[in-house]
Amino acid sequence: MTVFHFFNCAILTFGPHAVYYSATPLSEYDTLGTSVKAAVVYLATALVKLICLATFLKVSESDSFDPYQEFLKALIGFIDVAGLYFALTQLTHRNISQNHKFQAVGLGWAFADSVLHRLAPLWVGARGLEFTWDYILQGLEANANLVLSISLAALGSLMWLRKNKPKTLIPIIYLCAVIVATMPSTTSYLRRGLGWHLPKVVGFELFTSLVMAFISWQLFAACQRPSLMLAAIH
Amino acid sequence: MAMTPRKTRNREMLFDSVIALVFILVACVDLCDGATVVDVYRLIQYDMSGVPFGSRLASLNHHAASLHFSPHADLSRTVLLIPLRELNMSFVQEYIAASKPLGGLILLLPQMFSVENKGGVGSNHDDGSKELLKNVLDEVEQILIHTNLPDASFLQYPVYFAFEDENIDTVLLDIKKNDATGQPATATTGGYKFVVSATEPKKVGSPPITNIQGWLAGLKTDGDSHQLPTIAIVASYDTFGAAPALSVGSDSNGSGIVALLEVARLFSLLYSNPKTRGQYNLLFGLTSGGPYNYNGTRKWLQSFDQRLRESIDYAICLDSIGSWENELWIHVSKPPENAFIKQIMEDFSSVAEELGFQVNLKHKKINISNPRVAWEHEQFSRLRVTAATLSELSTPPELLERTGGLVDGRQFVNEAAIVRSVKLIAESLAKHIYGHQGKNVQIFADNSNLAVNPSYVRSWLDVLSRTPRVAPFLSKDDPFVTALKKELEDHTDEVNLQREVLDGMFTFYDSTTAKLNIYQVASVTFDLLLLLVLGSYLIVLFSFLVITTRGLDDLISLFRRPPSRKVKTA
Repeated sequence: MTVFHFFNCAILTFGPHAVYYSATPLSEYDTLGTSVKAAVVYLATALVKLICLATFLKVSESDSFDPYQEFLKALIGFIDVAGLYFALTQLTHRNISQNHKFQAVGLGWAFADSVLHRLAPLWVGARGLEFTWDYILQGLEANANLVLSISLAALGSLMWLRKNKPKTLIPIIYLCAVIVATMPSTTSYLRRGLGWHLPKVVGFELFTSLVMAFISWQLFAACQRPSLMLAAIH
Repeated sequence: MAMTPRKTRNREMLFDSVIALVFILVACVDLCDGATVVDVYRLIQYDMSGVPFGSRLASLNHHAASLHFSPHADLSRTVLLIPLRELNMSFVQEYIAASKPLGGLILLLPQMFSVENKGGVGSNHDDGSKELLKNVLDEVEQILIHTNLPDASFLQYPVYFAFEDENIDTVLLDIKKNDATGQPATATTGGYKFVVSATEPKKVGSPPITNIQGWLAGLKTDGDSHQLPTIAIVASYDTFGAAPALSVGSDSNGSGIVALLEVARLFSLLYSNPKTRGQYNLLFGLTSGGPYNYNGTRKWLQSFDQRLRESIDYAICLDSIGSWENELWIHVSKPPENAFIKQIMEDFSSVAEELGFQVNLKHKKINISNPRVAWEHEQFSRLRVTAATLSELSTPPELLERTGGLVDGRQFVNEAAIVRSVKLIAESLAKHIYGHQGKNVQIFADNSNLAVNPSYVRSWLDVLSRTPRVAPFLSKDDPFVTALKKELEDHTDEVNLQREVLDGMFTFYDSTTAKLNIYQVASVTFDLLLLLVLGSYLIVLFSFLVITTRGLDDLISLFRRPPSRKVKTA
C-alpha cells in the first residue's frame, strides 16, 4: 500500500517529463541526447552552486528570513542562468531547430532537478506508513518547476540565440527572465518571510509557472512572426 | 538504420544505471519513523510450572479501533485502544478472561498511575473516582496476571499499557470519530495504524535474586559477639505486576524497605556510641523473590550457619506498612501462648498504645506440604526461628497478589503511616534490647536527635516509587541493588550480598518495554483514486501537448495508427 503511494507520487513527479517528451515533436526528432547533456550541465551547475553556497553563506541557526542571506542566495541562484546559457549556446547539438533545442534543454534541466532534489526524499518518505500530503505537493511542485524551466530556456534562447527580434520586446524578455530566474528566492521568501504553508506556496508556484509559460509562449511566437506581432500591436 | 542499435544500447545502459541507482537507494534507506512515538509497557509473560500465563506476543502491526466498535465486527486484526476510565467489566470478561480473538490491546492508564507522576500532583480528580479507578485497575491487573483457561490459558494477542497524554488523546479522539461512522478501520478505510516492532520475547535465563544483608554487632562483654542474641529485621524488596516496567510497589514493599532503612539508621546512631550499644546483634535483611513464596528469604536463611540461626531471638518481617489508618497486624505462625510471641506482642502493643493506635495479633498455622508461603515470617518458622510479620493487611494475600503492581503507586502511600510504623518498630526493639519493658521511656521521641527523619523517609520512598523492581529483570549489578547496599553500608558494620537463582516453577520472558509507532495511514481506496486522477491528468496533458504542438489531426492519427514510429523506422 505504501509502495503504491510512492508509485503514485513518483508518477506525479516524473510522469509529466516523460509525457512532455513523448507528446511533443521532441521524440520525433530524437532530442534525448540534448536533454541528457543539459542534465549533465545541470549536475555540474548544482555542484558549483553548492560550493558557492557553502563558501559564502552562514549556516542559519533559526528558520527565519534573513534578507542579506537571501540576496546572496538569489545571486548564487543566477549560476543556474549561467549554466543554462552554457547548455543553450556552447553545447554542440546535432542539427535540431532552436524551437526544439530549448525545449530539450529545459526538459533535461527540469528532470535532473527533480531527480536530484525529489527522488531521495520521495523514496525515504513516501514509502513509510505515515500518510502526509507533502509528497503529493512536492510532485505538483515538480510540475511547476518543469514549466518554469522550459519557460526560462525559451526566454534564454530568445535572448542569446535569436538575432533578429523586435526591439520593443527585448526589455519584456529580460524582465520575464529575471522573474523566472528569481522564482526560487521568491518562494523561499513566501515560505519563510511570510510564513505561508506548503499548499499555498505550491498553489502560487503552479499559478505563476502557468502565467510565465503563457507569456513566454506569446513572446516566442511574437519573435517568430515579428510582422504579425507588430501588426497586432498597432 | 545504423543509428538504431546504438540508440537502443544507449537506452539500455541508461535503464541499467537507473536500476542500479534504485538498488543502492534501497540498500541505504530504512523505513522512516512514525509521526507519534509512545512508550508502552508490555503485559508480563511468564510460565508457572510450565503453564503459560500473560501475553505471549510482543510485535504489533494493526489498525486501531476504540471501544465503540460494532458488536459483530471481526477484531482479530484490530488493535483496541481503551482508556481505563471507559473499560467495562463485560468487555474484560469477554476479551480478556475468555480470550476472544483480538489483534491487540492497549490499555491507557490515567497519568496518576505514571511512574513519573509524583504524589498525584495536578490530578484534577476527586478521591472517589481515584479510588474507583484504582479498584478497577486492581481487578483488571489480577485478571490479566491470572488468566488461565483450560483451552486458551493465555492471551493470544499482545497487551500493552500506555499513559494518557496529549498526543495519544488526539489519536484516540480521531479513532473514536472514525468508529462513530460505523466502519471499523481496515486496510480500505485508512485511519491509524499501530506498530510495535519487537522481536519474539525470549526466556530470561536463570533469573537472579540478590539478598542484601547488613550486620550491626552488639556490645561484646566477653567472648565472641556471635554468642550475643540476634534480632533480625527483614523486608523483601522486589515486586511483581502486570507490567514489570511499571511495578514500583510503593506500599508493597517500598514502605517496608524505607522502614527498614530508617530503623537501621536510628540504631546505627545508638550503636555508634559504646554507652548506648545494646547487647543484641541486629541483622538487617533485604530479600528478593518475595512475590514467589519468599524464595529469596528461604535461600538466605539456608545460607546461615547453625550457630547464627540459633542465636536469632526473633525476626520481624515488614510487609506493606504504608497506607494504614489506626490498625496494624502482627502475623505469627506459632500459637499466641508461645513465650517469645507473647514478648513481641507485649512490646509492640504497649508502644502502639503510647502512639495511639492498635496492634492486633493474628495466628495462622503453616502447612509444610503447601508450597504457598503467604508471609515472609513463615520461611523463618519453617526453619524453627521465631518470627512475625508486621503488616497493614489482616488476611494473607494470595500468590502474586499485593506484590507492588500497577496500582501500588506513590500517591496511595501515606508517609505519616510509615513514620509511625518506624517509630513503633524502633521503640519496641529498643524496649526489648535495653530491657525497658513496662517503663514509659521514649528513646526516639520527636525533636530529639534520635527522632524519625520524615525527609529521609520521603526521599527513599520517592526513589523506590520510581524504580521498577521485578527481580528477574534486575540485572546482576543493578544500580538499585548497589544503592541499597551502599545505604545499608552507611548504617551497619558489615554488608554482604548473596546472589542466588530463582527456583524452579517460574519462567519469565523479556521485552517489557517497547516503542509504539502511531502512523496515520491513507487507505487503498485513496491511493487507487489518486492513481486514477494522476492517470487522467497525464492523459489530458499528453493530449493537450499533442494538440498544441502538432495539431488535433496528429492526436487522432496517433490513435488510428498506434505503431507510427515502427512504420517510420521500418
